[in-house]
Amino acid sequence: MFSIINSDNRWIKYATVCLGLLLGAIAWEIFGLNSNPAFMAPLIGNDEHPGAAVRLISNFSDQEFVESLIGSARLFITGFTIALIIAVPFGILLARLNWLRVALDTYILMLYVTPMVALIPFVLAMMGFDFWPKVVVVFLFSFFPVLYNTLEGARSVKPELIEVAHSFRSNEMALWTDVLVPYTLPYALTGIRQATGRALVGMIAAEFFLSTSGLGKEIMISSRTFDMAGVLATIILITIIGVLMMRLAQALEQHFSSWRGLER
Amino acid sequence: MIIEIFKEHQMPRLRFLNLDLCAKIIAGIMILVIWQIGVALFAANFVAKPLNIIGVLPDVITDEVFIEATAATLSAVIKGLFIALIAGTVVGVAMGRVKFFDRLLNLYINGFYTMPMVAALPLLTIWFGYESNARLATIVFAAFFSIAMSARDGARAVPPEYLEVCSAYRAKPYHIWFDITVFSSLPYLIAGFRLAAGRALVGAVIAEFFISLDGLGMYILSHTRSFQHNEAVVGVLMLIAFGLTFESTMNWVMRRYFPWYRREGRGA
Repeated sequence: MFSIINSDNRWIKYATVCLGLLLGAIAWEIFGLNSNPAFMAPLIGNDEHPGAAVRLISNFSDQEFVESLIGSARLFITGFTIALIIAVPFGILLARLNWLRVALDTYILMLYVTPMVALIPFVLAMMGFDFWPKVVVVFLFSFFPVLYNTLEGARSVKPELIEVAHSFRSNEMALWTDVLVPYTLPYALTGIRQATGRALVGMIAAEFFLSTSGLGKEIMISSRTFDMAGVLATIILITIIGVLMMRLAQALEQHFSSWRGLER
Repeated sequence: MIIEIFKEHQMPRLRFLNLDLCAKIIAGIMILVIWQIGVALFAANFVAKPLNIIGVLPDVITDEVFIEATAATLSAVIKGLFIALIAGTVVGVAMGRVKFFDRLLNLYINGFYTMPMVAALPLLTIWFGYESNARLATIVFAAFFSIAMSARDGARAVPPEYLEVCSAYRAKPYHIWFDITVFSSLPYLIAGFRLAAGRALVGAVIAEFFISLDGLGMYILSHTRSFQHNEAVVGVLMLIAFGLTFESTMNWVMRRYFPWYRREGRGA
């Protein structure tokens, strides 16, 4: 019995995964149908208990929801891109300027471990309710993971390599493109993977606690009106987006991980 | 001669060490000076400045409210982490050792791990009410999945040769578990625990913001709302101190008890 369900046969593997999904869906459905609609919504549901999956699909024909989705995407992309544009070159610069790295790395670690949510009230008080304060929040959430991991890479650049490059009279440009970037990029990608998750948290947090907008607003409104199907549908959507982005970042990381070389 | 060699070997290192420290201190002072001057010149009057923060620091730290808030948050985080650690380890090890569970649950664990816990907050408040249970649930929710994932990776990382040797010598399951499996998965577990602790702290603060529960997060929120930013910054510093203390404790534990383990499984 055990040897059958644990075997590496492809079909049994798929069957188990499907079974897991099916069991989860059935449990959710039964639980949702038997509880108060203000407490939990089922997956498919009926008229009395609106379902989350049905809602998720019908949301896409809802003009307002699509606008929220686009708004959130705009916020995420703006904040995340600005963070990357600054953090990666800065991290590589720290690989080049050793003294600056030594001087700053304690402080960067400090900011890396800071729970950035704690800074949201300050952003609110100083910058108000606009679009840009929210960008600042997403930026804060994603900047330090990238910088910290790039810094980790910067620390691992062998000084011999830079010396060799120098003794062959490599110019600054070649030093960056042939030594520093290839060395730190895999680490930066680890940071980027971490940052996608954090930036997503930042995006939702910003939409909750600053001016409500986007997907955060959708969750807020649904939960205030005890529309559980709406809440769950939006959460599922966010999770799917998160998983997809995480997969993409992971694939990128894996692709470049061979650049790290054999020893770490 | 000997002294000269000694000097040659010792001096640069010593000097370098001091230089490092000097650079750090100078950079720190520069950051603070820029902060102070920048805020004084460009920002509104209520924005926190380093000198004012130092000024209010003794008052805040001895403040009854602040101590209570810190204790509330910290105890909730520890309690939540404890629950998540036990549950996460059980689930993770089961997944790592039995392929059936792994295939059944992996999708869920990964999905929930990636799901931003803030998004689930409204749901958790409806389920657990606007009270400290909701905070605890958020913390457990934030910490559980990263612990389960790393426990799974740890349980899978047991070198198969060891298990083969065990079965060749007819070791009892008890020995296989406690002498081999636990030890080879511990480093992974610690890496996951580290990650979970950070997430748990974030979860606690967000939950406090959201449900206005007494704690460090609420302390920060209420003081920024009443434009007492200097006091609020002390709260943030306290959170940073938690993070740093935890990080360094974990580093110490790793070095002291698992010296063979190099920092590989971090991140995740």
